Amino acid sequence: MTSLPWQQILLSIGFLCAIGLTLSILLILAEKKILNYGTCNIDINNGDKNIPVEGGSSLLSSLADNEIFIPSACGGRGTCAYCKVQVNSGGGITGPIEIPYLSKDELEKNVRLSCQVKVRKDLEITIPEELFSVKKFKARVTEKKSLTHDIIEFKMELISPADIDYKAGQYVQLESEKYKGRDSVNRAYSVSSIPSDKNNIELMIRKVPDGICTTWVFDHVKTGQEVAFSGPYGDFGLTDNDAPIIFVAGGSGMAPIWSILRDMKEKNINRKAIYFFGALTEKDLFYTEELMSLEKDLHDFKYIPALSNEPDKSSWQGERGLVTDVLKRQIPDMAGFEAYLCGSPGMIDACVEVMKESGIPESDIFFDKFA
Amino acid sequence: MKESPSEKELRERLGPSIFSGEGFLGNDTRPVIEIISNDLALLDKTGITADKIAELLTEVYNKAVKGFGADVEVFPGVYGKYNESMGKIPSPFTGEGVFPKGEVVVRYSASGDEMVLTPLSIHLIKAHGFFQGRGSRYRIEPEKAADLLKLKQ
Repeated sequence: MTSLPWQQILLSIGFLCAIGLTLSILLILAEKKILNYGTCNIDINNGDKNIPVEGGSSLLSSLADNEIFIPSACGGRGTCAYCKVQVNSGGGITGPIEIPYLSKDELEKNVRLSCQVKVRKDLEITIPEELFSVKKFKARVTEKKSLTHDIIEFKMELISPADIDYKAGQYVQLESEKYKGRDSVNRAYSVSSIPSDKNNIELMIRKVPDGICTTWVFDHVKTGQEVAFSGPYGDFGLTDNDAPIIFVAGGSGMAPIWSILRDMKEKNINRKAIYFFGALTEKDLFYTEELMSLEKDLHDFKYIPALSNEPDKSSWQGERGLVTDVLKRQIPDMAGFEAYLCGSPGMIDACVEVMKESGIPESDIFFDKFA
Repeated sequence: MKESPSEKELRERLGPSIFSGEGFLGNDTRPVIEIISNDLALLDKTGITADKIAELLTEVYNKAVKGFGADVEVFPGVYGKYNESMGKIPSPFTGEGVFPKGEVVVRYSASGDEMVLTPLSIHLIKAHGFFQGRGSRYRIEPEKAADLLKLKQ
């Protein structure tokens, strides 16, 4: 008896599904049993640290298992491109998921997304030195203070570990909790507190419309609540020389500069410094009195707030205009200065152009772009 | 040839994620392919291509960024206000790179209408003809965007 055509089709489909399923199971078994990579060595920074790990996991998670935390915001899904690491050997070929996130220069230097590199054999990698001191912290929120209509100061007291070492200018990654169906995320915020206060961390956080982490911070986190963060990250901070300094910031870009200035005061760093803070109107300024007071406490410091949208008829006596214009007016010749900037990419790009035209070499301009 | 993603896969990619709390579809229940084809049909009536729209929107965005948060008249009767934001957001389509998170709120002074531009939303229009779903904060109405060309001249 011959079977009907639809029966043959169903049989064929079933047969193909069975083959596909068998092959998938075989592949998974092969990965687990046959492809046993054994113990692989991760050599970090030319032998500064050697970590034996069980092969088979991603480089990102293998490092995290050994308490070396590479910044990451997507949990290893290959989409945030934060977890870049230079892989000198053993990393295999750069995958198609990674290529769009890597510049030509990074590709030439074998920079990889560590979440996409599988540890299959011994690896040699290079990471910034400061990542060795990154830890995961638990902390208790002690205060949420409004600084402007959309920026708050977020204070935390450390629980475990109970203290933190960092340089003024560095940042941490705050981990939001799940809320209203939104997943936990990690977002970077510059530290605004002073490094000498090792038991507390302060951040300045601006509310972003629909921002997952900032909505959590503004609308869901309560004083007294336990939160988690990792850090410190980043290499933004004062160099060790006597060159006079220009600081430029806007909005929550105040955070690292506020930390650096108070650190300068504590350490009696007597470098000449001028701080330009760009804002729209007077109500967008904060810590003005404290910064004016630093003019007396620091050796040679001047604070210059610049308002670009302050009504003409207001009582504001200070500088008016875009911060770039005020900068040019106040310091026509910037040769010999070092510059430290923190703020939006647009403001930083424009300031860097002004500074280069006015005599500061690019190598003496340091910035923490919101990018 | 690369297979087109299924509707289910598209909705997953464009829905809420750890990068975009609200996702890109708003409350639009139409299939993604229909959203795209309807918007491209609307755009077609204006005689402007998605590439040209993306170019115009980029021009508006770049002009507004230079205001550092103040209103900038980007074209006659069109104002843009840049809102800073920290970090970058990846395209929901894997492998297309990451985009700065800042946004520009565009206001048409005659009508009071507004739309919000981001580098990612401009990229989605250019690369996929995707103007985002209705109800999304970042949806750009194709005809409204096309009006920019008239206002520029």
